[in-house]
Amino acid sequence: MTTKKKILLIDDDKDFLFATKLILERGGYEVFLAEDGKTGVEMWKSVAPDLAIIDMMMETWGEGFSVLSKIRATDTGRDTPLFMLSAVDLQGPYGSFEPPPEFPRVNAVLQKPVKAEDLLRYIAQELNAKKIS
Amino acid sequence: MMQSPTPLVLIIDDEAAIRDGCRQALEKFGCAVLDAEEGDEGIGIARDAKPDIALIDLKMPGISGMEIIEILSRDVPDTVLVMITGYATIVSAVEAIQKGTYDYLPKPFSPDQLRSVVRRAFEHRKLKIETRRLWEEKERMEKSFITFVSHEMRSPLVVIRQYIEALKAVAGDRFDRDMAAIIERCGARIQDLETLVEHWLDVSRISEGSFVLKKEPLNLIQLIKQSSEEMAPICKEKDIVLKTDLPDQLPEILGDPESLLRVFTNIIGNATKYTPEHGRITVTSENDDYYVTVRISDTGTGIPSDKLLFIFEPFYRVRGKEERQRGSGLGLTFCKKIIEMHGGEIAVASTEGQGSTFLLKFPSHLRKEQGTGKPSTDPATPFRPF
Repeated sequence: MTTKKKILLIDDDKDFLFATKLILERGGYEVFLAEDGKTGVEMWKSVAPDLAIIDMMMETWGEGFSVLSKIRATDTGRDTPLFMLSAVDLQGPYGSFEPPPEFPRVNAVLQKPVKAEDLLRYIAQELNAKKIS
Repeated sequence: MMQSPTPLVLIIDDEAAIRDGCRQALEKFGCAVLDAEEGDEGIGIARDAKPDIALIDLKMPGISGMEIIEILSRDVPDTVLVMITGYATIVSAVEAIQKGTYDYLPKPFSPDQLRSVVRRAFEHRKLKIETRRLWEEKERMEKSFITFVSHEMRSPLVVIRQYIEALKAVAGDRFDRDMAAIIERCGARIQDLETLVEHWLDVSRISEGSFVLKKEPLNLIQLIKQSSEEMAPICKEKDIVLKTDLPDQLPEILGDPESLLRVFTNIIGNATKYTPEHGRITVTSENDDYYVTVRISDTGTGIPSDKLLFIFEPFYRVRGKEERQRGSGLGLTFCKKIIEMHGGEIAVASTEGQGSTFLLKFPSHLRKEQGTGKPSTDPATPFRPF
């Protein structure tokens, strides 16, 4: 039996973490949860997941982006697929926010709530693509 | 006589007799009084003491009364300015009022006249300050309300839908038909609520001025076709004929494609909601030199004439208890505001039991080489919906 792929989920909403964890476990993944950015980065280093999903808007706008930068800056984080989650509609008060051009690569931006089948499909695509390449 | 707190009045006049006379009359009246015999000194005192009211003599040696008025209305905007003049002409009074004076007092005046002007000026000041306070409060509430709604109301809804997704993923294969239907309906109602919150936010943002339109020259034919296509499945379901009868060419308008698409989808969507099975919806368009007009007619239930006036109001519903159609109650409010932000207009005509017609009118985008006429200022083409 192959070992389960590890997914790290970083979001400050406990319920969102729990609901998404159930979906991911159903998809056959081992799931690690972090409720804030700092814990998320620490867990990234200790767990070494195969993929991470980061909420764009925790505590302050932009914390998600700073977490993303920190993870990308680590040795293991350079090529690991990273997803961002967003519940912000583009007409909102943050509509004008645009990441700078040199911003770290994001493999996918998912809109909350994310459909179970979509989430599992995106993850499978990323992890399989990585295996082939 | 005056209510506390003690009103503070500044008198700027070069005549000692006027200053003393005013001081006596006003102190007796319960005011605190400051005075200055020339303009520069008066301006200095006004900046430091910020009096409630300043009485300013128009004709003085040195800096003129008009100049003092200009400076004070800029530097101490809460101070109500009253001009004193021995040469009260209409012209000087109008000029002083344009420069920010509230009232004027022609010389010679009696203590009673002085008190009555001061009393009114003080009332005016209280109203002015109160109005500004309420305005600021309203602005602040609108801003924090938008932030509150977008964060505190939307996130629980998002989470509930995520739980429903999780429930389906974890146990979906064990649901019987009823259970699956219940879960589906819960999800749909939550999504309606989410949509309502979003529409509410949109309308609030438009009112508050933070809704951003990205305008570009565009052809409405494309947008109308796109929104008709979105409505096609619903029409098919209800066997409604949706006919778009558009010319090959329409002048471009300057518009935000995203919000305009929502406008058309909304109006055509309403038509599908209120048109019974086997009905008909027709979209036509025409233009003149200045406007592009789109007409959306249906053979639906229509709107009673006494309700027509209100349908663009937020949360207004034409039908009460028997209302079976779900909606945010904000769709038409949104449409009207978006159309107005495009310099356009929306109008409706309806006969109960026969159908409704919505008319959307947009100024065409006149490129420079096509002439200099501006639609909004051209009196030859007034907006006549029907």
